[in-house]
Amino acid sequence: MSMEWMAPAMFAGLVLVLLLGYPVAFSLAANGLIFGIIGLKLGFLDMSLMQALPERVLGIMANQTLLAIPFFTFMGLILERSGMAEDLLESVGQLFGAIRGGLAYAVIFVGALLAATTGVVAASVIAMGLISLPIMMRYGYDARLATGVIAASGTLAQIIPPSLVLIVLADQLGVSVGALYQGALVPSLVLTGLYVLFVWLVTMFKPAAAPALPLSARPLRGKALWGSALRAIVPPLLLIFLVLGTIFLGWATPTEGGAMGATGALLLAWARRRLPLALLKQALNTTTRLSSFVMFILIGSTVFSLIFRGVNGDLWVEHLLTGLPGGTLGFLIVVNLLVFVLAFFLDFFEIAFIIIPLLAPVAQKLGIDLIWFGVLIGINMQTSFMHPPFGFALFYLRSVAPKEIKTTDIYRGAIPFVLIQLVMVVLVIAFPDIASSAKPKALSSGVIEVPMEQDGYGDYYLPKEWR
Amino acid sequence: MSVLLRFAHAVDSLNDWVGRIVKWLILLVTLISAGNALWRYVLGESSNAGLEIQWYLFGAVFLLAAGDTLTHNGHVRIDFIYGRLSRRGQILIDIFGTLLFLLPFTALIIWFSWPMFMLAWQSGEMSPDAGGLLRWPVKLLIPVGFGLLALQGVAELIKHAAALCEEPSA
Repeated sequence: MSMEWMAPAMFAGLVLVLLLGYPVAFSLAANGLIFGIIGLKLGFLDMSLMQALPERVLGIMANQTLLAIPFFTFMGLILERSGMAEDLLESVGQLFGAIRGGLAYAVIFVGALLAATTGVVAASVIAMGLISLPIMMRYGYDARLATGVIAASGTLAQIIPPSLVLIVLADQLGVSVGALYQGALVPSLVLTGLYVLFVWLVTMFKPAAAPALPLSARPLRGKALWGSALRAIVPPLLLIFLVLGTIFLGWATPTEGGAMGATGALLLAWARRRLPLALLKQALNTTTRLSSFVMFILIGSTVFSLIFRGVNGDLWVEHLLTGLPGGTLGFLIVVNLLVFVLAFFLDFFEIAFIIIPLLAPVAQKLGIDLIWFGVLIGINMQTSFMHPPFGFALFYLRSVAPKEIKTTDIYRGAIPFVLIQLVMVVLVIAFPDIASSAKPKALSSGVIEVPMEQDGYGDYYLPKEWR
Repeated sequence: MSVLLRFAHAVDSLNDWVGRIVKWLILLVTLISAGNALWRYVLGESSNAGLEIQWYLFGAVFLLAAGDTLTHNGHVRIDFIYGRLSRRGQILIDIFGTLLFLLPFTALIIWFSWPMFMLAWQSGEMSPDAGGLLRWPVKLLIPVGFGLLALQGVAELIKHAAALCEEPSA
């Protein structure tokens, strides 16, 4: 009997088991094990494959890149509560308030600035939802525009470096995080620009949707105004240098950049006396649980893919995806549709750990630059935060938005921004140069591959051909 | 039933206590990692022990906290269908998943990882890198972490069964 049916059956089993709703990590692992046992019984697999599991777990532990996850999460949580976002929104809102759509521009600007500081969506969305949204509503903004721009700008945290999405993608694609950061830099700024353009178009065609702030709402003028804006902008700029600066200059690995950012955020919060013990404990608690569930999904998906590859599932997927009409373009279109649709149901950790390892080798075989591919997928994954009804950004926004804002407004407000994100996906495919990593010189001088792989276990975690 | 429930609550407190302690390791590993980068930049040298302790600590955090995360329903689900079920339906899925998914998986990992730890312990295995650390502590984390997770799985099973008895079977 041939084992050709095993891979499709396993994939079908995966869908079924995940839909059941038991925690993803254990469902993935169990699905792998069940088919592992079937494979053993039928003689397709060898026991040594199962015995390799603890080594894989050890390899996941030894992964220096993923260590960045707790650092950036911790940093984001500290920033969320330390009032930096609040100060920024208030003073930048004053600065831009005089022009039509000014508050919306301020939200985009602050969203991008926060995004360049940390890699966590919740922090920015919650802060902007609490501070900017009530002001926007008070001065007559259209609820859909206001909520959409907040959710989208908050989601920028996942594409502007140092984003968690890019770290996880880099790890799964086997490329350097620094290179992926460089690749994402221009596209993320273009995306930010498109949001600005959209707001500008709204102010042109529907001026009532985004009015300027009246004089009475702008108490600060002249020097005082610029002073307050400067005071608010300097701390995040410092943090951006601490994290991105040190990474791009090659002084620190992205992981260490995250650790320094978190330390910097702690110091800032402490200096402003905004770091009570309860807050610190809560941030540590959340970080611990997030780390645990993320790493266990990775362990589960490792079990799954170990067995899946054991039954030649990788060859099956490759066969399926290379046989598409249209060659590389056909592959890109299918992959992007797949990620877009899956993003309705899965969060980005799940997509990155389950789907990307299946796609990466095919992309490589088709001669696609994996860094460019990572940027493309990263932009596409932005939509997973903005999809009604399960998008995380919408969910966070709903939790802090005033009651008079209807949930349907939040959903409908998100739609134009999801469309803009898709336009960006098309742009990156049409003009691959904006996200390309084809600057090996700039890269080697900018990013030093510091001791990421010093440990002998670094390679256990995925076989060489999958890295 | 009450003996079983008492056992379940003992496991709850055990994992709660573990979770309370290991979360501080996040702060510790943050400071160590930032320190490593500074150290290398200022002194131009890096220590393998300093690099390895980072992943030892992070491994300790996510493995040892897995049980506590399970108690707090922190392991994400795809709640597309699950979220629409009655409480009773959800409990049934959890019982099913714990019995067929969680417990076999954790048992298998414990079973296979214990010899790996024993080998490292008996041979005094060291990191292959100069100045690296002893390997057995980090290998011990795997069976211990999955052990805590399995214990919590059993505790959840007991609590769910108890809830099912109380819940009217409508």
